[in-house]
Amino acid sequence: MRVYRRGLLAGLAGVLLFAPPAHANTPDAAAAFVESRGAALKQVLDSDAPLAEKRDRVAEILREAVDVRGVAQFVLGRHWRTANEAEREEYLRLFEATLIRNLSARFGVLRGLKFSVSRAQVRGEEGVLVTTIVEQQGQAPVQLDWLVSFASGRPLIVDLVAEGTSLRITQRSEYGAVIQRGGGRIGALLDAMRQQLSTLEQRELAQN
Amino acid sequence: MLRPRLLAPVFGLALVLAGCATVPPETDPEARAEYFERNDPLEPLNRAVFAFNEAFDHLLFRPAAEAYRILIPRPVRTGIGNVLDNLLVPRTTVNQLLQGRPNEAANSAARFIINSTLGVFGIFDVASELGLEPRFEDFGQTLAVWAGTSNGGPYLVLPILGPSTLRDTFALPFDVALDPWTWIGQGDQVQGLRMGRRLTQAMDAREQFIEAGDALRAQSLDVYAALRSVYLQRRERDIRDEDRPQVRRFFDAR
Repeated sequence: MRVYRRGLLAGLAGVLLFAPPAHANTPDAAAAFVESRGAALKQVLDSDAPLAEKRDRVAEILREAVDVRGVAQFVLGRHWRTANEAEREEYLRLFEATLIRNLSARFGVLRGLKFSVSRAQVRGEEGVLVTTIVEQQGQAPVQLDWLVSFASGRPLIVDLVAEGTSLRITQRSEYGAVIQRGGGRIGALLDAMRQQLSTLEQRELAQN
Repeated sequence: MLRPRLLAPVFGLALVLAGCATVPPETDPEARAEYFERNDPLEPLNRAVFAFNEAFDHLLFRPAAEAYRILIPRPVRTGIGNVLDNLLVPRTTVNQLLQGRPNEAANSAARFIINSTLGVFGIFDVASELGLEPRFEDFGQTLAVWAGTSNGGPYLVLPILGPSTLRDTFALPFDVALDPWTWIGQGDQVQGLRMGRRLTQAMDAREQFIEAGDALRAQSLDVYAALRSVYLQRRERDIRDEDRPQVRRFFDAR
């Protein structure tokens, strides 16, 4: 239906000229993407580079592999529209910094992880869900599912599902609660995020 | 030490008397939609009970689970966990029948027979090796299947027991009644065994949740909201039977 509505001419032109190769957004492509990004991340996590350098390299991988802005907007939900430009900018900055520090504060524990891609399934228009099994020394293996979207033309991770719990849905409910309890002010959330970030920075120093 | 714990429920009662969470006005449809999606009209009371549960967990439950981990070696814990899981299988079978899934119920019955005999009272999960993977069903899931929705009504935090919904709370006594072990045997020794099973079950569950629980508490901006979301998502997955069968290991694979 949707294709039909787009019009025959545009459709033909699209198919003939601009259509990406047929295999570009298949489950296989998503699985390969997760596999390669995971391997790149593992290489940094296992390396003996100094903390700041490791953190920078992790940040680089995340910015390239994750739709940070899209996830951040999803998490803020309806409050994104009511936020002013300054608030949005500050929120995006804090969101990305928290994402990176959440990993860098755990560099010690994350060393020597083993991960393997087990399967990939198409999840409607949302993208492809790639299942990985992550093993940490002395602990039961954990199933992590990565939702990979091709909406932007290239593969980007838009959600992480840990044992059936979606990170972005959980985080949205959390952030919503902070705003609600702060009297509907986004400033309340930004304050809480700033505080969390400084806690993470301290933990990073203590643990590495 | 006792006073704050006693105060929590009193404080909670006062909150309920003071009124539930207020519904946003019609003029703010998005806030209203969020309110109904959250499905937590008793939030002030729930938060009070949650604070009490957190204190209880911090002072007693988590330390006990840690002691359980330290004192009992991993292979023994796995064996205990397998026995506990095996004891839950009859209840799962009954619920699978109630959900109109006779084939799955037959699988569970086979699992129970194999693990209780070949697996020596359930210590060894032989059935999983034979391809009969573990499943868990409770009456809350059965009610959801009957109702045709995973919406369990208002979210509730029960004292000590933790996250629940109206549906799952209503289902609790049925789960006790549907568990054959409730009706087998009598006398003080059987009562003692039942109590022992319940306590070990709690230790086993909490021990497995130590790392995840710590991470959640360290990461969350609002632990209450995060746990609420996690509970509702997990229940939805359980109801749809999308959960991954978990087989306990005696040793690390490496």
